[in-house]
Amino acid sequence: MGCEITTKKRQGIINPMYDCQPAGAQYAGIGIKDCIPLVHGGQGCSMFVRLLFAQHFKENFDVASTSLHEDSAVFGGHQRIIDGVLTLVRRYPELRVIPVITTCSTEVIGDDVEGNITKINEMLKEEFPNRKVHVVAVHTPSFKSSQVGGYSQCVEAVIKNLATAKVKSNGKINLFPGWVNPGDVVLLKHYLSEMGIDGTILMDTEDFDSPMLPDKSIHTHGRTTVEELAGTSGAIASVALARYEGASAAEYLEKEFEVPAHVVSTPYGIGNTDALLRTLSEITGKPIPESLVKERGLAVDALQDLAHMFFANKRVAIFGHPDMVIGMAEFCLEVELEPALLLLGDDNSKYKKDPRILALKARANWDMEVVCNADLWELEKRAKDPDYKIDVILGHSKGRYVAIDNNIPMARVGFPTFDRAGLYRHPTMGYRGAMLLGEAIANAMFAHMEYTRDREWILNTW
Amino acid sequence: MPMVLLECDKDIPEREKHIYLKVDGEDTRDFLPVSNAQTIPGTLSERGCAFCGAKLVIGGVLKDTIQMIHGPIGCAYDTWHTKRYPTDNGHFNMKYVWSTDMKESHIVFGGEKRLEKSINEAFDEMPEIKRMFVYTTCPTALIGDDIKAVAKKIMQERPDVDIFTVECPGFAGVSQSKGHHVLNIGWINEKVGTLEPTITSEYTMNFIGDFNIQGDTQLLNQYWDKLGIQVIAHFTGNGTYDDLRCMHRAQLNVVNCARSSGYIANELKKQYGIPRLDIDSWGFSYMEEAIRKICAFFGIEDRGEKLIAEENAKWKGKLDWYKERLKGSKMAIWTGGPRLWHWTKSVEDDLGVQVVAMSSKFGHQEDFEKVIARGQAGTYYIDDGNELEFFEIIDRVRPDVIFTGPRVGELVKKLHIPYVNGHGYHNGPYMGFEGFVNLARDMYNAVHNPLLKLAATDIRVKEVVAYSEAAE
Repeated sequence: MGCEITTKKRQGIINPMYDCQPAGAQYAGIGIKDCIPLVHGGQGCSMFVRLLFAQHFKENFDVASTSLHEDSAVFGGHQRIIDGVLTLVRRYPELRVIPVITTCSTEVIGDDVEGNITKINEMLKEEFPNRKVHVVAVHTPSFKSSQVGGYSQCVEAVIKNLATAKVKSNGKINLFPGWVNPGDVVLLKHYLSEMGIDGTILMDTEDFDSPMLPDKSIHTHGRTTVEELAGTSGAIASVALARYEGASAAEYLEKEFEVPAHVVSTPYGIGNTDALLRTLSEITGKPIPESLVKERGLAVDALQDLAHMFFANKRVAIFGHPDMVIGMAEFCLEVELEPALLLLGDDNSKYKKDPRILALKARANWDMEVVCNADLWELEKRAKDPDYKIDVILGHSKGRYVAIDNNIPMARVGFPTFDRAGLYRHPTMGYRGAMLLGEAIANAMFAHMEYTRDREWILNTW
Repeated sequence: MPMVLLECDKDIPEREKHIYLKVDGEDTRDFLPVSNAQTIPGTLSERGCAFCGAKLVIGGVLKDTIQMIHGPIGCAYDTWHTKRYPTDNGHFNMKYVWSTDMKESHIVFGGEKRLEKSINEAFDEMPEIKRMFVYTTCPTALIGDDIKAVAKKIMQERPDVDIFTVECPGFAGVSQSKGHHVLNIGWINEKVGTLEPTITSEYTMNFIGDFNIQGDTQLLNQYWDKLGIQVIAHFTGNGTYDDLRCMHRAQLNVVNCARSSGYIANELKKQYGIPRLDIDSWGFSYMEEAIRKICAFFGIEDRGEKLIAEENAKWKGKLDWYKERLKGSKMAIWTGGPRLWHWTKSVEDDLGVQVVAMSSKFGHQEDFEKVIARGQAGTYYIDDGNELEFFEIIDRVRPDVIFTGPRVGELVKKLHIPYVNGHGYHNGPYMGFEGFVNLARDMYNAVHNPLLKLAATDIRVKEVVAYSEAAE
């Protein structure tokens, strides 16, 4: 009984949980409207990240590369930044924002990105006097942090660059959801709308799920506009749903423009969602409407059918982004699942001291382990260990073979989930997300009972 | 006329040298697109990097080898779960990826110790695996970590393991092609000839430049088994590290993908005198030709004719069923390079399909010489095509189907054009006789997908007619 918080002992990684910083920065960048991120590095640094996004969303996203070649590695890549930006601006007349995202190679070479941007701004002014394109330096060396930090880094850099002055109060809430699916963004917007709150979503990825239309137009892009980004300084408050994915930008707005920052528990599960809605209500003075009480009731009702019948005493391994893993663990406790193993996948030393982790540790009256700087080999070793029982895995598709090879039911959650259809469309946050996640876990367990002939007859009468 | 400056390229006019529209009466002496040249920054090119050319394309295929990537985590993460090359031992190669997870302090103080530790850990964690490739990446190449020295030290300490090093950072060359080259030459110079194979047949060959995409290697292997030819090494589909060390003992090198693997065949000829025979493995007529050439070399022509007859009896009827229904369809091919010339004539001959546009990410001059020779007039031949160019070319040629990667596939879906995965296939294998029927079937199912008609329907228009018809 009790919880142990450890760190992976090996130095190397076998099967990583996260991609590197520039990948996260690219994800934040594509959430902005009329924006094409420009990755300053080798071509693979953007090509494979684009493929990863395409695998998850089944959509194409535009990300450009400075195509760093040998000569730039030796003599510096200054000209390639300039050429890259100018080529983009000339060929894409709608373009308004270009985050220049650095990588390991260009950080090692030491290219002066800011200096080049100053030069570029002068050139743009001359060539396009009636057009403003925001070129933003985003420093994301791959040898620091991970895609989690890179996401945060880009959100913060863009806000710092575009919210440069305190604008008139606009009565809006800045909502930083973190790295979530379009389904979550739609749900959060629904909450704001039900409560009559005007919000700016940073970043609004609703259209990452985009239609095939008769006129063949393409709408697969972020929705957060330059005006909205500039207007964040005039909001009545910021609410950050993920401590490690965007909260730093909210804190910046508080420090610089006195926009109060609320870093809330990531709204996975019923209690965390309650806390979010209460926070929103307190900030705005608007009541929580009947409609959301009903949505909450539907979720509690659905989960009630599953908790003590199927979920109780089941040991769950959870891996993915830190805020999500912690939120999932809290959700598990609500439905009597035991969060037995939490894997957090980079070297951020703050995880161990995260008050939410410490609260879980204080509550644990079951065997629980938190492994920091973990890889999926840590999961696989435990899954293969007959003395270490794992009943359910919650995580993204990169861990699929641990589930397949060890016959453990797995519910896909997080990023990426390319081996299941349409998951990006559904929320995991909020009441509805909790309900859908609980049902996904239950259905994974049910299918497993059938394929392994493990008391599948229980379901004859359920 | 022939070199084309597209409207979207008016600000990067040098792109004109990369796009060719073939006209009757011209040949490659007159016009040949510039290729294997630097990419213009910011163009949204489709190219990857040299590291991936080595790791993802060639090394990572091996079924018994740890792929240790010395660099930050992204290079490992990004070259994992992006390929469809199964193996007959449970897909070890697709399940795992290894990284030294370089952090800032290692960039500052050097990462050799961390590499050494990571290599030892990997062998300790997977004691049944004794073979490893180690790759440099951009930052570890820039700081000058000596990965060869580390590998040498470990091989001295652990005599049962063997390690091959690939020094090919992402910024080397202009595309993944550079990585193919570096790996080929490194392997022949350092590893070929260090082990002797068991010879089980009087006819032996290496099969080079085929990566077992959805089982291509395994399908073709049935042919070689029937012909009684021992394949000493598969470079590298379903291959093993030690088989590849024995390449020097084959009597013949049969080369499918000349772009990624022609280098090693050339070296095997130079260093060991083993002749090189280039073949095409996609398409009935090409496969027949390939079998005839190989059998002629060994003097087993009658075995070859028997195999061809058997395979035709089994598959030709099915192929013709699809041919009847695909005839006249327009196809575009946007892949790496060689598949352009492997496919353009075979889909024309075997399926009556017309290839109207082709774009190569990393082909060289010789690839364009081949594809322009084999391809039709009225077709666009593009080097390193980018997104805006694709839109414009699509408008010009209006293909019925595009063979390309999944991301571009998602893009063209919005334009109501179906894609078939030209890299990893939809439901392959696509090589050999059976494989080409699979390709034909996937193309047929794509072109005849009923959703395309539904997508074109605008329900606001009173009569339910296709959008394009309504607009006319």
